Amino acid sequence: MSQLALIIEDDEDLASIFAEAMRGVGFDVELVADGRVAQERLTNGVPPFLILLDMHLPYISGADLLTNIIKKEERFAKTIVIITTADARTGEAYTEQVDFVMIKPISFVQLRDLTSRLKPKEQL
Amino acid sequence: MKKYVESLLTVPAADRDDSRRRRLLNILLLGTMIAALIGLAAIGIDSLTNPLSNPAELQVTLFGAIFVTVGVLGIYQINRRFSGQWAAFLFLLLLTIVFALTDTPINLTEGRSLFLFTIPIIMASLILAASASFLFAAISSGIIVYLSLSIDRVVNPFGIIGFFMIALVSWLAARSLERALNELRVINANLDQVVIERTRELAQALERERIEASRNQAILNSIADGVVVFDTRWNAILVNPALRGILEMPTELIVNKNFSDLIEHPRLSPKSRQLLYSMMQHDTQPPSFRIEWDRKTLSISAAQVYDNSKDGNTNIGTVTVFRDFTREAEVEKLKSTFVAIVSHELRTPLNAILGYAEMFKEAVYGPMNDKQVNMAERIIKNTQRLLGLINDLLDQAQMEAGRLTIQMAPVRPADLLENLHSVMDQIAQAKGLKLTSEIDDSLPELLNGDGARLQQILVNLVNNAVKFTEQGTVHIRLLCPYQYKWGIEVSDTGCGIPEEQLPQIFDTFHQVESSETRVHGGFGLGLSIVKQLVNLMGGEIHVHSTVDVGTTFLITLPLVVPAESPEKWRNL
Repeated sequence: MSQLALIIEDDEDLASIFAEAMRGVGFDVELVADGRVAQERLTNGVPPFLILLDMHLPYISGADLLTNIIKKEERFAKTIVIITTADARTGEAYTEQVDFVMIKPISFVQLRDLTSRLKPKEQL
Repeated sequence: MKKYVESLLTVPAADRDDSRRRRLLNILLLGTMIAALIGLAAIGIDSLTNPLSNPAELQVTLFGAIFVTVGVLGIYQINRRFSGQWAAFLFLLLLTIVFALTDTPINLTEGRSLFLFTIPIIMASLILAASASFLFAAISSGIIVYLSLSIDRVVNPFGIIGFFMIALVSWLAARSLERALNELRVINANLDQVVIERTRELAQALERERIEASRNQAILNSIADGVVVFDTRWNAILVNPALRGILEMPTELIVNKNFSDLIEHPRLSPKSRQLLYSMMQHDTQPPSFRIEWDRKTLSISAAQVYDNSKDGNTNIGTVTVFRDFTREAEVEKLKSTFVAIVSHELRTPLNAILGYAEMFKEAVYGPMNDKQVNMAERIIKNTQRLLGLINDLLDQAQMEAGRLTIQMAPVRPADLLENLHSVMDQIAQAKGLKLTSEIDDSLPELLNGDGARLQQILVNLVNNAVKFTEQGTVHIRLLCPYQYKWGIEVSDTGCGIPEEQLPQIFDTFHQVESSETRVHGGFGLGLSIVKQLVNLMGGEIHVHSTVDVGTTFLITLPLVVPAESPEKWRNL
């Protein structure tokens, strides 16, 4: 059975690298490129297994999405949240609220290995 | 009346002694004239009431009185206009002659009137000169001798001896009086000199003080920053003109008012109000801070003023300086926005390059041959280097802007080492080096520090050590060298740093010998950033190095154990 990973990242290249890394370990990947679309998706769509959330997004910041939707709504209680940011300080501030903080630059291998560990073992 | 008499008596003369003598003479002249006038009046009354008096005798007395009056007036004029000495001489001579004529020769030479001659003798030493008494003793003696001979009597030697004895006594008395006066005058003159000097000194001191005060005022007036001096109760006692322009309000609204009036001003933002109140309470305020005043940003620095002149250090108030920081604040904001943008805009594409290169290396889209993998590895390595350089440059820029701050939180030293190994192990192994580490037992499990910056320091030092070591070991030790300090020690078995180069290794953009840059790469910012970070944390960095043996860096930092740590660490 495959799992859904929602990647919220405005940079097209990074999004494609992250998507490739996570597809490689067997996730179904859904990409969202800006804050408004992400808000829409989070509010109305199915809660994903994992969210990779960039803190720096157009229109609505990742921090707002995190505080106002993901941390607020019960539906996301089981969702694994990884935030990505270029600023180590911002990252530090959220360590308590999310499952993982990744500071950019984010390595393909690093992300692949991490998400591979997070993915539930498939039943043989 | 009194003034008139005074003006009559006073004789202006350059010599005060002379003036005194002439004034004394005037008094005597006045007395003599009054006596003569009384004599005249007595004669008048006598001639009216006693018709039996001898008219010849009356006539003689009348002429005598008139003679004396005229003589006295003449002498007075001489005394006033010509010479005090001549006047005195003539007066005494007049007295002597008058006395010689007032009685019979027998009475004058041997009887009751002999003593009359002593009056001018004594007076001579007082109003003429000390030794003049002898002159008049001689004159009186001459008169007595003449009178005695005129009445065929033997000259009375006792009278003459008496005259000279009195002259001697007068002379001695007058001389000692003169000497005493002289001494007094010298003392007086000295005293006058001292008074003049002191007065001049005082005037000079006052002048100096006035110049100083006006200079201070001028300085205060020309300072572009607003200055307010408060007394101990925060009443504004002094305000300079620049404050008016900075606060855009008349200084009258500030001076002689309490500081709290200004703090309550609606132009001040609530947060700034709080800062100013805490400044008033002498809380642990920073030496300078910023407030928002309307659309302006003001930097405020406050300093307590202490008076050392009184016993002890008395706090006599506070000096606050208001500086218009609006422009600088804008520039700072721009700079930090710039730094943020650059940091994001540069790192994002580099991250993409890194990611795609990794995908090559990991053969995501199909098998790669060795050369292709090697090329991907080179791209990764160079991208990482470029990212490292950007980080260093941004850190340096932030530190120069004073924006890099240290954020203290509980840190676990063991975590620092673990993270370090996860980053550096691979790099060290790739170079065939051993990366080892240890933590001293005495080091607390948890301490206060800026985790991210401590990690950065460790990575920078170890990266440096690996870079300059070709074989051997890089060893990291976290230690607790003494109370209230903890330390990070990084030692390597590398090429070492020549002693003469040691002082410069922490300089910005410095690398030992420029040719090394080409071999090892980098801007030479690493150690400079480490040192600046260590300083920001209140610590010190030391280096010990021997060429071809190795280098050891030791960082010591203040040890603060978080309150929530185990009890055993708290009473260090």
